[in-house]
Amino acid sequence: MKFLCVSCDEAMKLMNVAPPERGSLSVVYRCPNCDHEIAMLTNPFETQIVGSLGVNIGAESAQADGESRCPFSSMVQDLGADANEASSELSWSSEASSRLENMPEFARPLARAGIEKFAREQGLMHVDVRVLDQARNSLGM
Amino acid sequence: MKSYYDIVGDGGSNVMEQVEAQQQGLARNLSEVRNVLAIGSGKGGVGKSTMTMQLAGALGELGHTVSILDADLNGPCQARLGGLRNQILVPGDNGAKVPTTRNGIGVVSMGSLIPEASPLEFESVAPGSSHTWRATKEFTILRELLAGMDWGKLDYLLVDLPPGVERIVQYAELLGPAARFVLVTIPSDMAKGVVARSIEALRQTPNHILGYIENMDGYFCQDCQRVKPLYPANSSIKLDLPQLGSVPFDPELAAHCDRGGSLADTPTLPSWHLVQRTAQEICERVAALTLAEETR
Repeated sequence: MKFLCVSCDEAMKLMNVAPPERGSLSVVYRCPNCDHEIAMLTNPFETQIVGSLGVNIGAESAQADGESRCPFSSMVQDLGADANEASSELSWSSEASSRLENMPEFARPLARAGIEKFAREQGLMHVDVRVLDQARNSLGM
Repeated sequence: MKSYYDIVGDGGSNVMEQVEAQQQGLARNLSEVRNVLAIGSGKGGVGKSTMTMQLAGALGELGHTVSILDADLNGPCQARLGGLRNQILVPGDNGAKVPTTRNGIGVVSMGSLIPEASPLEFESVAPGSSHTWRATKEFTILRELLAGMDWGKLDYLLVDLPPGVERIVQYAELLGPAARFVLVTIPSDMAKGVVARSIEALRQTPNHILGYIENMDGYFCQDCQRVKPLYPANSSIKLDLPQLGSVPFDPELAAHCDRGGSLADTPTLPSWHLVQRTAQEICERVAALTLAEETR
């Protein structure tokens, strides 16, 4: 979707995306020529459809589509971790974290929870690549 | 006044570019997969998933490296068939490690991640309207699975498709024109009628259909040790495709699959030899097709 300032015949630029409220996004555009601003206000259906494409709205918006990317939130909670937040009791090395970033986005919270559960069972409080390798070996991968 | 196509980009989000980047990521991650084989039908209940796992085992026995993507997110069977339920996803350098069966078949299935009795549910900001967005969400997840798993070097990636004639074209578009299709039917006219529709639908795409497999072509009687008919012998529907093989229903095979055992562990089952023969036929056709494409 693109927005045009009719009086200037100029494409409008996205300025900011407000945090979603009850499923609605507020996305502000400005004309670079006359500085006129408009806001696009989505209904929850529109927000959900765009979010289902797996894209971000707004260059700086990491979670602007207003939904959790993890379809397994309740399961992750069963594993003893929150779907959208890092566990507070275990730390991750930067290398282990970057491996996590290479995974399918929707699966990261579940993977994190599973690895942290494995680490806790081993009596470990820090997850590094060695722990990931141990987990992989224990699963025969 | 400018039109949509006069304006470059969308002013900041670059949604089209993000979708294109997703597609490129998928192609990059599958670059070391020599053959993508989609196992579909259009009809449900014809044994696509069982056939997929058995073909994977037979291809493995022929010396090929094989993995399976269970594209049926809502009724995933491959985790059970491969004995891979309740898996932990382990991050690696190039994506998540693919869990493997005892006989070395990689399996990516929602059934490994969610309990068998739990339906796949997505959080939504638009409750009660999942019919408007769910298919899009599912294809996004499949694309993320294809792009985010560490498939490694594979001779064959088998994609176990869910039923639905209309969706088979959507999977062809997701997997790209290089993906080849194998259709599974049973000898009933009802099933063959649906498969005939799938053939016509797929012929609107650039994808090649290798042929079809006639599953449940009779049943193997343990008492008399021979195959007896399950369906009337003369079907009025002839599928306009090469037949790659036929496999009878085998109760022992069915029980084996429920337990998640590898058929390679029981090579004496009569149906196993027919699966092997079918896998060999597929390999020969893929090789011939690849050669024809390379010399074109």
